[in-house]
Amino acid sequence: MSDMKVQIGSLVLKNPVMTASGTFGYGTEYMDFFDVSLLGAIVTKTVTLEPRYGNPLPRIAETPSGMLNSIGLANVGIKRFLSEKLPALSTLDTKVIVNVAGHDIDSYAEVCRLASEHPRTDAIELNISCPNVRQGGLAFGTDAVFTAQVVAAARAVTDKPLIVKLTPNVTDIGDVAMAAVNAGADALSLINTLLGMGIDIHSRRPLIARGLAGLSGPAVKPVALGKVYQVAQKTDVPIIGLGGIMCWEDAIEFFLAGACAVQIGTLNFVDPQGALKVISGIDTYAKEHNISSISELTGAMIAPE
Amino acid sequence: MKQYECKLISQQEVSKDIWRMRVYTPQIVEQSSAGQFLHIRVRDSIAPLLRRPFGIHRIHRESGELEILYRVVGEGTNIMKTILPGDTVDILGPLGNGFNLNGNFNTAMIVAGGMGIAPCFYLIDSLLELQKKVILFWGVKTSEEIFIDVEILKVKGLEVHIATEDGSMGHAGFITDPLSNYLNTCLQKDIMQGFACGPNPMLDSLQRITKNSAMDWEVSLEAHMACGVGVCMGCGVSHRDGGFRMVCSDGPVFKLTEVDLHE
Repeated sequence: MSDMKVQIGSLVLKNPVMTASGTFGYGTEYMDFFDVSLLGAIVTKTVTLEPRYGNPLPRIAETPSGMLNSIGLANVGIKRFLSEKLPALSTLDTKVIVNVAGHDIDSYAEVCRLASEHPRTDAIELNISCPNVRQGGLAFGTDAVFTAQVVAAARAVTDKPLIVKLTPNVTDIGDVAMAAVNAGADALSLINTLLGMGIDIHSRRPLIARGLAGLSGPAVKPVALGKVYQVAQKTDVPIIGLGGIMCWEDAIEFFLAGACAVQIGTLNFVDPQGALKVISGIDTYAKEHNISSISELTGAMIAPE
Repeated sequence: MKQYECKLISQQEVSKDIWRMRVYTPQIVEQSSAGQFLHIRVRDSIAPLLRRPFGIHRIHRESGELEILYRVVGEGTNIMKTILPGDTVDILGPLGNGFNLNGNFNTAMIVAGGMGIAPCFYLIDSLLELQKKVILFWGVKTSEEIFIDVEILKVKGLEVHIATEDGSMGHAGFITDPLSNYLNTCLQKDIMQGFACGPNPMLDSLQRITKNSAMDWEVSLEAHMACGVGVCMGCGVSHRDGGFRMVCSDGPVFKLTEVDLHE
């Protein structure tokens, strides 16, 4: 019997598989499809101080083995989130990680503080990497100095485990990762979507109204895996790997590259029970390879020449 | 539970590029109502990656089977038409809200454009079960798309109006022309309920010609979707309040007056 438990700072998960922000709603939408309590954790849709309708339409499009999205952080706002959405998760036997974003340092800190105060919040994931908003998002996540400032501001208002979600759209992800760690991040999650685009050659319009959008799905997996490996070479803080995971084999690759846990994103849309299949696949692999604790796999790739 | 491996019973090309697929899925049949949709994974592969949404065309309660009517337009539907009897199909459903049939009306007016006819057959069956009178306005590009003998519909008691853009059957032009004439001369709008499904320009036109009508209209919308269950927030429709609603989870059926379909 292998131990599937993993530890991320003070946060202990019963297994290393969670659902990625923006692909699992507020945690209740998939209750008709499987027992959500079987997940290691759920990460909620990004919540901001004020409600947001999001970006103009169209805002999703399929691409080869991937999809583009530019939702623009559509969400109900922190007030309704705390009064309606979080309480609906009270009976779930899994961890709840609340993903938050702001448009400046003060709003990041305030939404982080409000989310942290709720007893159902087990950890915070700071979204400094959304490619689809004008203010906040990428502006913070692509700059080590801004990253340090916003992480420090969030750290100052929460004692709960603080996970910082990184963008791959940078020259050196290691620099931004170290800025987040030095400013107090307990863990890092990566990657958010890659900046991309698609164009309809008949109408000559971009597939996504806003033009640029975020690419996710299996097409981005090798990029994500490379980024996890790069960050793991720089820091010992726990890394949560995500980006195009479609099966348990993908998850094992992320562990070997340096992740201690993974998030399932686009796969939820394709197969709502996909995350559960990943969990059972990891379990079987661990048994077959006589691995006593799944955390043994973290960074266990044989080093390249 | 809303995810099922369903056995395919039959596939048939009922008209050029229009296919009818029949699957055995008693649970979905049991739970569904007219206007709801299914989200289908056409094969276990990452190409194409996403599921494809289809309205439920008809249900057969006694056999636990349902039908999907679809036009082959791209990669997903080209694969879907090759699924063979006996194979299984991964289906999420029933999803979305469906039409409201509980209103105080005795006559239903249905406006269908192109493949918008697909969910209307389930709607017609449900309305006839409720003893409602049904008037169908069916618009297509050419008569080839009228995949059923219209006389059969008339025998069931339907009043049927057809329009073809090429003039090969019925009124030559858009279906909204004969509809508009009908509405102008019809006196009993207060006891009628309207339902519509079709391309956005048709629904936009419907909004204009029904602007001052006392009739209540429900429209079923189509959209590109990723999740189909309201989490990805991708399939929005503009709402009169200035924001968006999700076609998959707030719809696909909306009040005609609440959505903005003008492109």
